[in-house]
Amino acid sequence: MSPRITGIGLITPIGNDRKSAQDNLRHGRHGLSHVEFLGNPALPVKVAGTVKGFSVDSPHWRDWTWPDECTIPKEVLRGLAPHGLYAICAVDQALRDAGLTAPDIAEDPSTGLYCASAGSAMMLHHHLAQMRAVVGVRGNPMGVVSSIAGTLNFNLAAHYRITGTVCGFVSACASSSHALGYAIDDLRLGRLRRAIVVGAEELNADSLLPFAHMRALSKQADPVLASRPFDAGRDGFVGAGGAAALILETPDAAEARGARTMAVAAGWGQAADGYSVAAPQPDGAGLFLAMERAAADAGAGPESFDHVSAHATSTPVGDSAEAAALTRLFGKRGLRPPVSATKAITGHGLSLAGALQAALCVLSIEGGFIPGNPHLRTIGPGCEDLDLPRASLPRAPRLVLSNSCGFGGSNVCHVIGAPEAVTG
Amino acid sequence: MATNPSAVPNTMLARLPAPMRDAYEHYRLTGDASSVQEIVVASVLEYRPKASAAIPACGEATRLIEDLGYDSVAVAELVFFLEDIFDLTLSNEDIMGVRTIGDLRACVARKLAAKPRGA
Repeated sequence: MSPRITGIGLITPIGNDRKSAQDNLRHGRHGLSHVEFLGNPALPVKVAGTVKGFSVDSPHWRDWTWPDECTIPKEVLRGLAPHGLYAICAVDQALRDAGLTAPDIAEDPSTGLYCASAGSAMMLHHHLAQMRAVVGVRGNPMGVVSSIAGTLNFNLAAHYRITGTVCGFVSACASSSHALGYAIDDLRLGRLRRAIVVGAEELNADSLLPFAHMRALSKQADPVLASRPFDAGRDGFVGAGGAAALILETPDAAEARGARTMAVAAGWGQAADGYSVAAPQPDGAGLFLAMERAAADAGAGPESFDHVSAHATSTPVGDSAEAAALTRLFGKRGLRPPVSATKAITGHGLSLAGALQAALCVLSIEGGFIPGNPHLRTIGPGCEDLDLPRASLPRAPRLVLSNSCGFGGSNVCHVIGAPEAVTG
Repeated sequence: MATNPSAVPNTMLARLPAPMRDAYEHYRLTGDASSVQEIVVASVLEYRPKASAAIPACGEATRLIEDLGYDSVAVAELVFFLEDIFDLTLSNEDIMGVRTIGDLRACVARKLAAKPRGA
């Protein structure tokens, strides 16, 4: 049984609604902007995937602004980190998209919530600094729930009155793909009839600059040059913030309420590198195994895939490892499905990345196109066997493989299919 | 003046309603304890967990939990805020003794009076 994807919600650098994100994805228009952190123009981080329509730079929720269409009660705001605000806006949007209302899911023991974020370094820093300023005597009682990894699950479960399942995932850039995978499993095991999956991250000095210190970020000031996965000149990733939410339902549950099926979660797989705390295994063996397992879970051979949504973040080593894994799975068999790396236009949303990528796969299936690689100029060494179209291809993918890789060698792969392409 | 609140970091105050800020400024400049009452009442209203609910007529006898919908987390937030702006420490025992706005005002006033001058 393959869960149906019946709604998505997006707060992303390429748009805060399904239609604008879909248009930008189709036309390869990026959502990267010039940024300056900590008032220091000398920092080498020049561009990022910024979220528009929100102002959440302050650790004080009273300073925040967000689009009017999202209504968030004051008592909820108090416990949120900035990315929690994004997440609620995305989940509200996904519920509307699925034809559901908040009362439909409240106190429903068959609805579960699967969250992914790294927590809020900015909020944690702020609250701990406040505590240290008074030598530990007092601290904001909401400091923990608005800061630590888990802040999304705590807040969203309470806000939406989730009673089926609530859990959080912390596997860095594979986190929300893990959230999606375990949501799929709980639906397939009959534990739930509906799952809300949400990944979110904020974008600020505290969330992003530590990656510059790992030498993982692009130093380019031109967005087109900064995020160019699989390109010979790629020099690191471009950070991004936002939130992506997906509503999944069992076929029975979707059918019972006459819900529209946008796409099908046909299978997933994971495998670990067992290699490095941060770097991927150079030959991509873990990712290869994850892809094989995902394909097997979906009952599909490599020849069944007509699109790959790559994890490719535009780092030299990461893209090479993924290219090696893709070449082994497809190229060595004489297969060349089109590969797109959407982080060229969205930037890399870390914990958000997997859910966002899955949602973009849904948009490409629904919109009848395969996204391109608009920033690619010269294909990098080791990536030559990949079919990397520059512009979108005007045909709907039927079965898509979507990759995510995180620190510590977490590799998660999802198979997302067009409704008519997946049986069961 | 019983205390020196100007030394207290209170950036949170800048985001609160103007009458409350005025009352705090008045207290800060004069030490006039009557302002404390106004600040406590405004803080209690501000930190109500269900801000969308209708505000009942507030007086000394208004109860935080029963009348204003406070829960334990909201009480902790309110206490943290008052501790921060007045540079006080309220113990769990102090908080356990607070049921009404009047109790809270009296507790804060008692703590302020007990603070060393200029502390």
